[in-house]
Order: sequence, then C-alpha cells, then structure tokens
Amino acid sequence: MADTAVHDAVDEHDDHGHGDVHHTSTGLSNNKLAMWLFLGSECLLFGGLISTYMLYRGRHSANGGPDQFWDIPFTSASSFVLLMSSLTMVLAVTAAKRKDDRNTNLWLTVTAILGSLFVAGQVYEFTTFYREGLGYTTSLFSSSFYTLTGFHGVHVSVGVIMLLATVGMILKNRIPGDKAEVVELVGLYWHFVDIVWILIFTLVYLIPA
Amino acid sequence: MALIERPAPAEAPAVATPSSSFGVFRRPVESTGWKSWLFTIDHKKLGIMYGAAALFFFLVGGFEALLIRLQLAGPNGTILSADKYNQMFTMHATTMVFLFVMPMAAAFANYFVPLQIGARDVAFPRINAFGFWCFIGGAIFINTSWLLGGAADGGWFMYAPNSSVPFSPTHGIDFWGLGLQITGIASLTGAINLIVTVINMRAPGMSLMKMPIFTWMILVVQFLLLFAIPVITVALFLLMFQRNFDATFFTVEAGADPLLWQHLFWIFGHPEVYILILPSFGIVSEVLPVFSKKPLFGYPLVVFSGAAIGFVGWGVWAHHMFASGLGPISVAVFSVATMAIAIPTGVKIVNWTMTLWGGKLSFTTAMMFSIGLIIEFTIGGLSGVTHAVAPSDTQQTDTYYIVAHFHYVLFGGAILGIFSGLYYWWPKMFGKLLSERLGKWNFWTMIVGMNLAFGPMHIIGLQGQPRRMYVWTDARAGEGFFNLGFWNLISSIGAFILGIGVLLFFINVFVSSRKKERAPLDPWDARSLEWMTTSPPKEHNFDVIPTVGHLDEFFHRKYEDRGEGDHHDFHQVATAEEIMAEQEANADQHIHLPSPSYWPLLLAFSLPVMGYGLIFNLLLVPVGAAIALASMFGWSLEPHTASPADYDPPTPQGGAELEVSTNG
Amino acid sequence: MSRQVTQPEKVRTDLIQTELPTPRSGGSRLRTAAFGLGATALLASCASDAPQDTWAPEGKYAQDIHNLQWPIFMIAGIVGVIVFGVVLFVVIKFKDRGQPIPEQGHGNALIEYVFIAIPALLLAGIAVPTVAEVISLNDTDNADCVINVTGQQWWWEYDYPVDASNNICGFAPTGDAAPIVTSGQMVIPVGAKVVIRGTSRDVIHSFWVPKLNGKRDMVPGRVHTWNFEAEQPGIYAGQCAEFCGLSHANMRMEIVALDDADFQAWIDNQLEPYQSPEAGTLAATGEQTFISQCSRCHQIDGLTNADGELVVASPEQFVWSGAAPNLTNLMTRNTFAGASWDLLTEDCRADVWEAPPAEFGAKYLEGVTKSCLNEIDLKEWLRNAPAKKPMYTDPESLADTDGKTRGMPYLALSEDQINELVAYLIERK
Repeated sequence: MADTAVHDAVDEHDDHGHGDVHHTSTGLSNNKLAMWLFLGSECLLFGGLISTYMLYRGRHSANGGPDQFWDIPFTSASSFVLLMSSLTMVLAVTAAKRKDDRNTNLWLTVTAILGSLFVAGQVYEFTTFYREGLGYTTSLFSSSFYTLTGFHGVHVSVGVIMLLATVGMILKNRIPGDKAEVVELVGLYWHFVDIVWILIFTLVYLIPA
Repeated sequence: MALIERPAPAEAPAVATPSSSFGVFRRPVESTGWKSWLFTIDHKKLGIMYGAAALFFFLVGGFEALLIRLQLAGPNGTILSADKYNQMFTMHATTMVFLFVMPMAAAFANYFVPLQIGARDVAFPRINAFGFWCFIGGAIFINTSWLLGGAADGGWFMYAPNSSVPFSPTHGIDFWGLGLQITGIASLTGAINLIVTVINMRAPGMSLMKMPIFTWMILVVQFLLLFAIPVITVALFLLMFQRNFDATFFTVEAGADPLLWQHLFWIFGHPEVYILILPSFGIVSEVLPVFSKKPLFGYPLVVFSGAAIGFVGWGVWAHHMFASGLGPISVAVFSVATMAIAIPTGVKIVNWTMTLWGGKLSFTTAMMFSIGLIIEFTIGGLSGVTHAVAPSDTQQTDTYYIVAHFHYVLFGGAILGIFSGLYYWWPKMFGKLLSERLGKWNFWTMIVGMNLAFGPMHIIGLQGQPRRMYVWTDARAGEGFFNLGFWNLISSIGAFILGIGVLLFFINVFVSSRKKERAPLDPWDARSLEWMTTSPPKEHNFDVIPTVGHLDEFFHRKYEDRGEGDHHDFHQVATAEEIMAEQEANADQHIHLPSPSYWPLLLAFSLPVMGYGLIFNLLLVPVGAAIALASMFGWSLEPHTASPADYDPPTPQGGAELEVSTNG
Repeated sequence: MSRQVTQPEKVRTDLIQTELPTPRSGGSRLRTAAFGLGATALLASCASDAPQDTWAPEGKYAQDIHNLQWPIFMIAGIVGVIVFGVVLFVVIKFKDRGQPIPEQGHGNALIEYVFIAIPALLLAGIAVPTVAEVISLNDTDNADCVINVTGQQWWWEYDYPVDASNNICGFAPTGDAAPIVTSGQMVIPVGAKVVIRGTSRDVIHSFWVPKLNGKRDMVPGRVHTWNFEAEQPGIYAGQCAEFCGLSHANMRMEIVALDDADFQAWIDNQLEPYQSPEAGTLAATGEQTFISQCSRCHQIDGLTNADGELVVASPEQFVWSGAAPNLTNLMTRNTFAGASWDLLTEDCRADVWEAPPAEFGAKYLEGVTKSCLNEIDLKEWLRNAPAKKPMYTDPESLADTDGKTRGMPYLALSEDQINELVAYLIERK
C-alpha cells in the first residue's frame, strides 16, 4: 500500500545522495519504516482488545465458559498451520532477495493458502461455538472473545489479500521499484499477525481463566 | 530552468495542457483550477486545505460555544432545550478538539515540516491526501448528524453506560463514533507519514539535534498519535458493537464494568491533551527566538522536556478519574505522576522566558500571541497543579473550575499558539502579510475576551457549579461578590468579545487578500529553512536542497560573528534575496515530483458511505466497500507520475520529460 | 477564628460562621496566621456566597481537603505572580531599542538545573500531604452510621438499613426497627462519621455535597463508599456532578444534619405506622386517586386498598431504572423531583435554611405545613412532570427501553385529581 514510487521520485535526484534510490537519513527505507510504525500502532490496538478480553474472560454463565467450548487440539492444529505460514513467508522473502520470481510466487501462494486454511479453521470454530450456544451477545466473555479473535481473523484475511495481490503484481510485473522490499513488507505484516496469534492462543486458549 | 514532472506552479505557463476528457483512466494533471486542489497530493496545498477546513470548524465550534454561553448567561436559560444543550456541548468539544485543533496542527505540520527539514514533500504524498480527505469525510459525517435526528449527547468523553442505546436512543452517538473512527484514520496515516518524513528525509547535515523545534514537537505528537489512536479505536469499536450489534461491553446487567470505557478513553484522552498542546509549544518555540533575535534557550532541554511530556503523558490518564472510585493507592500514584509532569512543562515556561531574556524583542502580532501563550498557559498549568492534588480534585473535577483550567490550557495554550503561527507563517503561505494593526486588535480582543470568558469560570466552579448543566438556578447561586449570576453573565459577555476577536482575524485575512503588495522574502528576519525559499514556496520547495550546518541554518547564512572570544559582534553578510538568487542559479536540474491522483479522494469517500450504511441501511456497506476496493486497486496500479496519455494532446514523452520553466 | 477575619460581611448564614472550630489538623499559631493571611490576601471573601461553595467547609472531610488545598492555591498564586512579573520585566527591559544582535548562546546549564530543581522540590513538598490525605479520605473504618445511597436518572434514594443490633444509623428506634427509604434529602446525625455505600441503577452519577466532602462517582455494578461528617445542624446543598443524561442539571441532593435528639425524633417519625386520611375528606379521595394513578411506581408504606391489602408499587415494570421515590413521608422533606424543586414556599424555605443551628432541628422537623406548601410547583409537576423536568417519557422515544420511561410521565390528571392528591400528600409526614 505504501507509496514506494513517491519517495523514490523525491530522492532520486537528491544531489547530496549517493545516487542510491533508497538513500534516506537513516538508511532504512521509507516503506519499511512506515510498516514498522504501523505495526507499533497495531500493538496498541491488540493490546486494547486483549485487555478487554482479559477483563471479561470470566464473565459468563456457569456453563458458558471456555471449558465448555474450547477444542484445544483443533485450535492447536490451526495455530500450527499459521506458524508454518511464517516459515513459508521467510522462504518467499529469501527467494525475492535472490530475485527468484518463480519461487517467490510459489512460497507467497503457499503462505496465502496456509493463511486461508487458518481463517477457514476460525470460521469453522466460530460456527461450531455458535451452534453449541455461544453467540456473539451470549455473554461478556463471548463478545470479547469474538471481537478479539475476529479482529485477528480480519487481519489474517487482509494479509492473504496482500499476499495474493503481490503474487498477481509480480506475475504482471506491475510492482514499481524494489520487488524484494515489497515482499519483505508483506512479510513483516504477516509475521506480526502470526506473533499476535501466538499471544492470543496462549492467553485465550491455553491459560485457564 | 528546471525539469519538473509535476506541472509548474500557477505563475508559470505549462507547455502541456491537461487532457480535456475527464475519465477514470486519465490522470488529473491540472496545475490550476479546482481540480488541482481536489486531486492534489502536494503537501502545501493539503496543508492549506487542512487549515481552511479547520478554521471553518473553529467557527462552527465557536458558534456552538456562543449558544452555550447564551443559555448560561442567566438562570433557567431557555435558548436551548436540555436535549439540544447536551448535544451542543458534546459537539463543541468534539469539534474544537478533533475538527479544529488537531487538523490545524496537521495543517502546519503538513505545510512546514517538509520545508523545515529541507525536503520536497512528505514521504507518502498520496497517503497524505488520503488522510486529509478522511478528515474532511469524518468531519462532515459527524456534523450531518445535526440534520439526521440529532447529534451525540453524551459529552465528549462519552462515558458508558450513558452512551448505550437506552440512554441515548438517537443516532447521534453512532455518527460521533464512526466519524471519529474516520478522522482517526487521518491521524494515524498522518502520524506514520510525518514520522517517516522527519526521520528519513531531512536535508543533509541536519542531525536530529539540529532540527527546528517545531518539527521536533510535531514528531513527538505523531508518536503520541501513533500509539493513542489505536486505543480510542478499540474503545469506539466496542461502543459500535454495543450500540449496533447488541454486544454488552458496557451493559452493567450483563456484568460489564463501566470503568473499562473510562480507562480506554483516557489512555487515549490524556496523550490527546499533549497532542493538542505540543504543536503550539513548537510554534511558540519558533516565534520567540525569531523576534528576540536569539536562539531558543536550552534547545536540547526543550526537546527532551517535550519528549518527556510525551512519555510521562502515558502514565497519568487516571487523574481524570480521581472521583470515579479507583482505590486510594492508584489515586495516590497517579496524583504524584501528574505532579511530575508539571516539571517538564515548567521547563518550557522557563526556557521561553529565558529566550526573551537579553534579547532584542520586537512585538509583532505573532510575538504577542506567543507571549500571551506564556502567560495564559501558565495560569492553566498552575490551576492544573491544584487538581493534580487528588483530594482537592474531588472538589474541582466536573465543575467549571476544570472547564476554566482546560480552556486556559487549550485556548490560552493551543489556540494562541495557532494564531501566533498563523500570523508568523501567513506571508510564507500566501506571499502577503496580514495587517499588523488589525492583528494587534485581534490579539487584544481575543486576550480580553478569553480572560473574561474563562477567568470567571474558576470562580463559578469553586462556587460549586458543575459542568454540563443546561440550566443553573438562583437557589444555588448565592448573593455575595462571588455569586454565580454575575460571573456567569461576565463569562458570557467575554465569550462574545472573544467571538469578535476571532472575527477580526477573518477580517484581517479578507483585507490582506485584497492587498496587492507582496510580502518581502524574509519579513521577520527568520532563522529556519522554510524561509529559505520563495513565498509561497515553489511546488518543489527548494531549488537546491540545502546542506545544514547549524540549528538555525538560515540565520547563520545571513549573519556572521566577527567578535573574538567572548565578545560577539554579528554582522549581516547576506540577505534572503541574495541567498535565494544563489539557490536559483544552482537549481537542481531534475526534480521529480509525483502527480495528482483521484484515488485518495475516492478511497476516503468510501468511508462515510460505509458509515451511513452502518447507521441507516446495511446495503450501503458493500457499496462503500466496493468503492474502497476499486480505489485501492486503482491506487496500487497507478504509477507515481502521469503518463503521456494524460495530457492533451498527448505529449510525446509524457510528463517525465516534460520541460517547463519555473518562475526562477 | 481566623475565618471571621476573612468574612466580616458574613452575618446572614450565621449557622455556619459563628463558632467554626479551627482546622482540625492545624495547631500552630504560625499556621493559623498563615491561613488568615493567605485567605485574606487571596480570597478576601471567597468563603461566602453560593451554597455549594467549595471553599467553605463545614465538616471534617471538606475541612481536611481545604487545609490541603489552600496552601497549594497560594503556592500556585505566588508562582504565577512571579512568572508574570518576570515576563513583564523582560518585555519592558529587552524591547528592541536598537541594541545590537544579542549573543547566540544556547542556554545555561546552571539556570536550567535550578529551574528543574525548584518545581521538583515544590511538588515533592505537595505530594507528601496529598498522599496522606488520599489515604485518610478513603478510610471508611469505624463508621457511626451507614446509609445506602443509590443514584438513578435523575434523583437519589437513601436507604437506612437496620443493623445487627437493631439500630438505624447508630440510633435505636423507639418502636420496632425497619429500614427507612427516603429521597431528596439525606438526614444524618451531627458529629457522626457517616459512611455512604453508593451505587447507581442506570448510568454513572456523582454524589457531591461540597461543604461536607468532595465528590465520589456512583457507578452501576459497583459499590463505592464515601464519608460525611457535619459539624453543625443545617442543610448542605449538593448536585450530581457526573453528566448523567438529559436532566443532569436537575439532579440535586441535600444533606440535612440534625443533633442527636432531633435525629432520634426524625427516625421515630419515619417509622410511625401509616395513617389513612379521615373518611369523607378530600384527602381520602386523594388516597384512592393515589392508589389508581401513582402507586404503580410510588410506594407508600402501609397503604392498603379497599380490600385491606397492602399496596405494593412495582416501578420496575414502568421505569427503566427500576425505582421511583418512596413517598411515605414526603412532607417531612423539603424538596421533590430530585431535590430540584422545593415543597416549601420561598419564605418558609428561607426560614429553615437560615435558622441558627440551635433552632434548625425543630424547624426542620416541622416538615411541610399546609401554609408553607409550595402548591404551585407541586401542582405543575403533577399536571405534567416531563414539561417541568426534561425526561424520557414520550412514548415514541421508548422503543429502546421496552416502553419503560426514564422519569415520571405525563399522567393526564384532571385538576380535581390534582387537588385530591395534594390534599392527600400534605398529610404524608
């Protein structure tokens, strides 16, 4: 999403530069810095949602709590899938750095598939919970659970779209500037979403209320 | 002669004309006319539009304030119904905080940060435009609630559960929450953009400690925004789910804790206070040195104290909640932390005063607003110390004493600083000076007005009048010198004087716009880089990116110290005109700037569409989402500069090779 | 003592001023002198005027807060004057009179450190007593009297529980003990440490009677405690301080302090059994009107219907917040509708409010007599309550509250019914 083109344009003819398209005061590219800042901001977003969940996790009817609904083996499996997608993401980034478009696309696609699997798992999980009687408005616990994990799910979905868009743009050769950097940026986002899930999985599923 | 990709500034006739066929596939490349503003991604044009919109909402918020003061001028006021009054004070605060002071700071930041650091634009110009249109979209969205069933009526901090549907059945709060989400996107994208710009795009030689203080304060503010906005985002989402999807985050019967909202709101809300005030601190720290002909006293300390305020500001939010029933331990801790934050704030006052000390002071309107800020903000700061003391705060919170306090801080601080900046930078932005004579009138009516309007509120509050009451009665007014009747009336009169003061500013703008006379290149004998270019600056800001060797680079290019040892003897060695001429002679030959774009505007437009959808008809949500997706698609495929086909007749090589002359 | 120096013109509200004890925590003459000087210099007559004056403490807790805050106001004032003085001096002294361009120095470390140290020390000095006072304000141990306080849109309910030893608020009722439920005015014994346990039935309200203590929010789902102790008999005005919706401005409260004998009498009176109006009087008709029109929401303890069954109100079916004021002894209190209007005419009200402490109790216990009844406001209220006090009662606006009102709705009472009700209500004491 970042405006790669622009800073290139602004910097390109900076007479004091080193002729390097990516010359900046810090040496870090604008896009990467922006992504890091964005992720910093996201930390607070998930911080707020996680705090809300932690406050309300115990507020449910006697038999409407996590113990009645959690399916730890299933969620562990889908967490594992998401973790693996970080690995494939790393492979995509290394391939992009080698300027190996074929493998970049391959691993990006695999990552997107793994991410979609995770989202599908979440949809399945939500449907099951819902059928077992845990609606969005059933209790404070359910509202804050669905809100937290829902927000995360949306983030994963956005990530999948970003991955696929990147694949498409690489195929069509429509990426302006440095391809490897774009892949790396998507990777940063992806790893972040992954790390947040590890936190959510631990706090929500593993640690008993 | 210079090569620029973006069409030349208004004064210069462009060789190529934009294509006359208006289509999605042709890029807007106009350099004049309304399209050049609507689709611009130039940080200066966006800055001006931010400023114009903010000043418009300043008038709206001021109008709301006058209605409030009319209602309270006498006992049992009947100008407004209770319902309308509650909407009025909610929207007054919302407008002033989110639609005036914040975007006004964004206006200055957008316009001057790139100029002050010697850059040609911000890091992400299209995102910059997107942010601006989000702000406009959100602002209009919130204000349409007046016409669509009534505005929000829960007070600007919208405490739960009073914000739930049973207690506020109109859509006002929905408009408010969704609108703030949209303006929040503007703040967040703006924050990321400006941080990257400041960190990455400084002119060669400009280390962080040689950066102009205004830029520093803006940097601190952007970090505050970066981390504060997501917190209010969470709170607003919870509120939206509560109101629109029957969640029970704030429903006590379901076991919810209403204090959750207060914590989330104030974790955002307290940094927000510094988000409002620090840009003005930056402006004042620019203006005082210029008109004292001295560098800012203790520049590093002002920087560090600004950063310290930014950090400690995260640890004091609960001082808004001293009466809400936190345990004594938390109250004591937050009370002490709040006192601690007075120290870096005090440092600023001392440093400003010491900047004046020993200077060569000229009292321009900008300077007077800055000195006014020192005085008025000190009053606000000191009353702040009295309610940092938690026990006395239990008497003062939610009374007019608090209203007095934050108006001294926000009007006496933020807004006086903004006006100082307007007078100081006006010639830079528009090439014309505002009238100093009218300016002095403007200053004094505003100072008299604000002290008459907000000063008596100290008394009113200490005499026990709570805030947010649509009427007050004689039964609780007393009869002595400090009776509520007299002081409420004075406060209302003061508000109208203040209103006249504000009007004088707009009259001044009008009068100056009719004047033909151009402002000199360097009317104030200024010190920082934004003055080292034409007024208004060329589209590409600088013909040559300056190399910086000093904190006050421009001053040191103009003056030379010929003294020896401890003896100083400054002589002017160059005029601004000479420096300009030298730059133009050595102008960069290849300046590439990105072209305007439809997509930021269109993407921002999709957000209020989705907002209306959430409120009135969910079918609109996918429509908005489709617009958003389409514009994101268009955006990511759009090259950063226009293609030949965008011009009429199509240029042989396209914009990139288009040769146009600049006015240099 | 020093207070009289500061408020010589204050004669009218003599119940406050005649014999106010010296600040409790202060002893030394130096301190007293400083207090007098400071108060005289800064706030020559601040401690007069409005009934909710935060600078005129009349009870222990407000006094403690005041003892803490006045030196801070003084320090702030002095710092302010110094800053203004220095700025003024600088502005005059360093005006551009053609002097050479000053040295371009970047500061002076010594000055900086000094000006960090001074405020740091000042604030440290303020912090210590602040923390101590925070702890003491929140100390609710050793209560003499406990009252449950509940806020709702837009009035307060006071509920006096019967404790394990059959006492109410530390007093043994002469007859059988039963909980007392009242509203508008909270009656407390003078000199007793009264702890309120407060909560809310709807949104957040804030309980604030400035002359007795600072404010404390009353949050639904939570119980917050707060202390009161009055030094003299009298009425102390207060107001809801947290924005609580439409009629926030009309949500007031009053604390009435009575000395022990009067308080005992008040309790006994509150617990007296219900007496029906004499048959055949207007009031007797009014009783029937009350049963048919008002008793859905308003409880009058002991009221029976024609079949001799107790009439029990069920406000939870009609009012969103779930309660309406108990009117059993309405005319023993001086206010109605969230203490926003007086049941006493202006003159009678002034008579009670301005009575000297020694006579106050007797005057208050008289309650509302026929000649003193403020019929105008009361009848206006009965005629159309939401027109007098903005409330959510319009049927069209009740979709989101299951048709329940927030506040008293328009009842379409006839003038005859209103007269009957007034005749009936005047006997409720």
